[in-house]
Amino acid sequence: MSYPDPTVHDTLPKVLRHNARSHPDEVALRLKDYGIWHETTWAQYLAQVRSTALAFRELGIGRGDVVALIGDNDVDWIATELAAHSVGAMTLGIYRDALEEEVGYLVDYAGAKLVFAQDQEQVDKLISLGDMAASVQHIVYEETRGMRKQTDPRLHELAVLIKRGEQLHQADTAAFDALVDATSGEDVAILCTTSGTTAHPKLAMLPHGRFIRHAITYLGADPKDHTDEYVSVLPLPWIMEQVYCVGFGLVARMTVNFPESQETMFQDLREIGPTFLLLAPRLWEQIAADMRARVMDASSINQWIFDKGIKLGMKAIEEGRRSTLADVMLFSALRDRLGFSRVRSAATGGSAMGPETFKLFLAMGVPLKQLYGQTETLGAYTLQTGEELDVDTVGPPFQGCEVTILNPDSEGVGEIVTRHENMFTGYFRNEEGTKADLRDGWMHTGDAGFFDAKGRLVVIDRLKDIAETASGVRFSPQYIENKLKFSPYVGEVVILGSGRDCLTAIICVRFSIVSKWAEKNRIGFTSYTGLSAEPRVYELIRAEVERVNQSLPEKQRIQRFLLLYKELDADDGELTRTRKVRRGVVSERYEQIIDSLYNGAQSAHLDTEVTFEDGRKGRVKADMRIMEVGAAPTSELRKAG
Amino acid sequence: MAEAENVRAEPSAQTRVFGEPVLTLENIELGFGGVKAIDNVSFEVRKGEVLAIIGPNGAGKSSMLNCINGFYKPQSGSITFKGRKLPAMDPHFAAANGVARTFQNIALFRGMSTLDNLMTGRVLKMNRGFLWQALYWGPAQREEIEHRAYVEKVIDFLEIQAIRRTPVGRLPYGLQKRVELGRALAMEPDILLLDEPMAGMNVEEKQDMSRFVLEVNEEFGTTIVLIEHDMGVVMDISDRVVVLDYGRKIADGTPDEVRANQHVIDAYLGVAHD
Repeated sequence: MSYPDPTVHDTLPKVLRHNARSHPDEVALRLKDYGIWHETTWAQYLAQVRSTALAFRELGIGRGDVVALIGDNDVDWIATELAAHSVGAMTLGIYRDALEEEVGYLVDYAGAKLVFAQDQEQVDKLISLGDMAASVQHIVYEETRGMRKQTDPRLHELAVLIKRGEQLHQADTAAFDALVDATSGEDVAILCTTSGTTAHPKLAMLPHGRFIRHAITYLGADPKDHTDEYVSVLPLPWIMEQVYCVGFGLVARMTVNFPESQETMFQDLREIGPTFLLLAPRLWEQIAADMRARVMDASSINQWIFDKGIKLGMKAIEEGRRSTLADVMLFSALRDRLGFSRVRSAATGGSAMGPETFKLFLAMGVPLKQLYGQTETLGAYTLQTGEELDVDTVGPPFQGCEVTILNPDSEGVGEIVTRHENMFTGYFRNEEGTKADLRDGWMHTGDAGFFDAKGRLVVIDRLKDIAETASGVRFSPQYIENKLKFSPYVGEVVILGSGRDCLTAIICVRFSIVSKWAEKNRIGFTSYTGLSAEPRVYELIRAEVERVNQSLPEKQRIQRFLLLYKELDADDGELTRTRKVRRGVVSERYEQIIDSLYNGAQSAHLDTEVTFEDGRKGRVKADMRIMEVGAAPTSELRKAG
Repeated sequence: MAEAENVRAEPSAQTRVFGEPVLTLENIELGFGGVKAIDNVSFEVRKGEVLAIIGPNGAGKSSMLNCINGFYKPQSGSITFKGRKLPAMDPHFAAANGVARTFQNIALFRGMSTLDNLMTGRVLKMNRGFLWQALYWGPAQREEIEHRAYVEKVIDFLEIQAIRRTPVGRLPYGLQKRVELGRALAMEPDILLLDEPMAGMNVEEKQDMSRFVLEVNEEFGTTIVLIEHDMGVVMDISDRVVVLDYGRKIADGTPDEVRANQHVIDAYLGVAHD
């Protein structure tokens, strides 16, 4: 596999120009719009970047400026990103569902001069920020709908800018090349937000050259080329989506496909039939859960085939092979149904994934691999090899990436620290943060882990999340949570017990599945809250908790749990935008509940503030029952499952 | 309330400016047997406005809409539309001249997909005859592609891409309402009649629907006449409000004027009718 020479094409715009010259008519990007897939060739991709860049330069955007981008994944997003890179600016992606204050914080902190906002919804956020977005001189929008009444002088329509850029190019055809030639591999290309499980996100500075070289390192472990099809569904501000969508797209000329909308994602995925796929664990879990939910509606014959096929397939996978019979009767049809028929390589990362879900996809014939990395290390630096069944590790490090365990205890567990040539150069405007995490060139990840006998890295949990009960039992909340989350009925769970006498759990039921289950069992309910309070749902979840308890050492078993009246939500700050639980926020907000779990109360009372979808706030009062998890489950309870 | 008095709207400073009346209704009377559904009602619909018709149950609101698009023939009075003064509207004339509507009880083809339902909105604009269509290739196919492209714009506008292929009978109520609006929009109407577009919706669905109604009005310049019970919605989105009570018009003006009108307050809060 040959990739562009990173010493010559050392910036992203240079690689784009290289591709457009060597393969002008090859399809680079595809976007579904108005029900049709629209193709963009490398030449067209370059032309849009060129026009946008020239228009940006006329607006006064240049070296060292920050351009922020917010919106859905699409061609305009990444073409605008590359246009900003072409004029020497740095780009900062902001999650599309970020609330006003979050957008305000990032835009203000980075001092963004120009913001690309996809539609009216995003533009409104910026305009209502007022002084908080004082640095913003230009707002470029893509969709004109609903923009008629806007009179803010900072607004520009992207299509108009592109037209203007085209004129500028006609007037001086060498201008763009001069701009691209002036970009340097040392320049910072991307300010990438860290996930910020504890506080505001930090912005890692990722230079062009390092970004490209690390993409090539990664491709060494999992090669891609122009025949690969990728569907971009994870948020573009996330490091891995940048690596694949922008990095692999440019370096390996992998075709990147953008779905029509968030809701049509799975349909579009099936239409494309990708060869390479990256989904977050929660999406894999959602696919598995939806599959099960749909089977509940199927005829009894189909249900029987499904159950048998899954059993056969899972058994075969445990023995390190695949079941041909299960493939013929179930999995080939499932793969087709889900759009996974052509998948050659699939990855999951961002957070840990339930081993059962993992095995399910392997059994299905999806070559799923765990990866591990941080924003600061330009994403992944370890990846499973896929040679043998491995649900516990994240694989060996890439070539040239050093990983060691700092201060290992007797079992070899310690903090994972790593270094390679192409890491971030520091946090933007945050010397102190840089010094804390990057010591002598080693990135301190804050994750606890160890190497197994075969040299594969095992990640346990965040170091500071590894907890100890009052009696000195060490446990990893995340490990237990993942076990519970494999249950299709459990959506989110938080395990508590640090400094307490035993372990307890706050559980959020998975509404899509539990509501279906309730319907089937003729249980009436009106809302999520009502469903969560239903005694038979409690019994259902109790059976699940007991099942998990059996696989845990006795002292790490869950003694009590309650079902939360609502789902944990990123808008309430309980989850990060990449949907990791913010333990600090949860334990602070639900302090009352947590106390009730430990003071022998029968129920927990809550009085708290909530943020609605449209940003309004309100108070919620709820009473939740606390359920003890008994010793041996009775046969009665078993039936509830 | 023997001498119901009409309140004329004096365009205030904040009101938007509207064009000529596109539809004028004069002295409309409609009765069913002994019941007078509409009693000598006159008003006009101006180009580009959002006009709400409100009133208590049985006030004659839906009958009024049915007169406008020709479902009902008034016994007396006249309707002036596109320069033609008619004693009653003809439904085919109305549909062919850009009057589209949605219904209080959803009237979609439940077994057909969203896409196919929207395509039926284009039927009046299809020129190729049965034989061409039976042949499929050639002119009929080209025509179909053209109409599909327009329908896709409507799908994009209403953000219903994900349910393009779903039979509408399987959709939740709020989405069915949206599909029905889509079918009306597929007709590229000049005047859109909406009969209780937000009935039975939750707050979020109502907000969505209000946004769509306003955006249709802004983006396409479509004149909108709607019947609605939710006063909050009516006061928020309409430029002008006509109030009916027992088949008579008791007020006609901006939302603020109507809100302050004593007849309207009486009609809604209840006053003995003699």
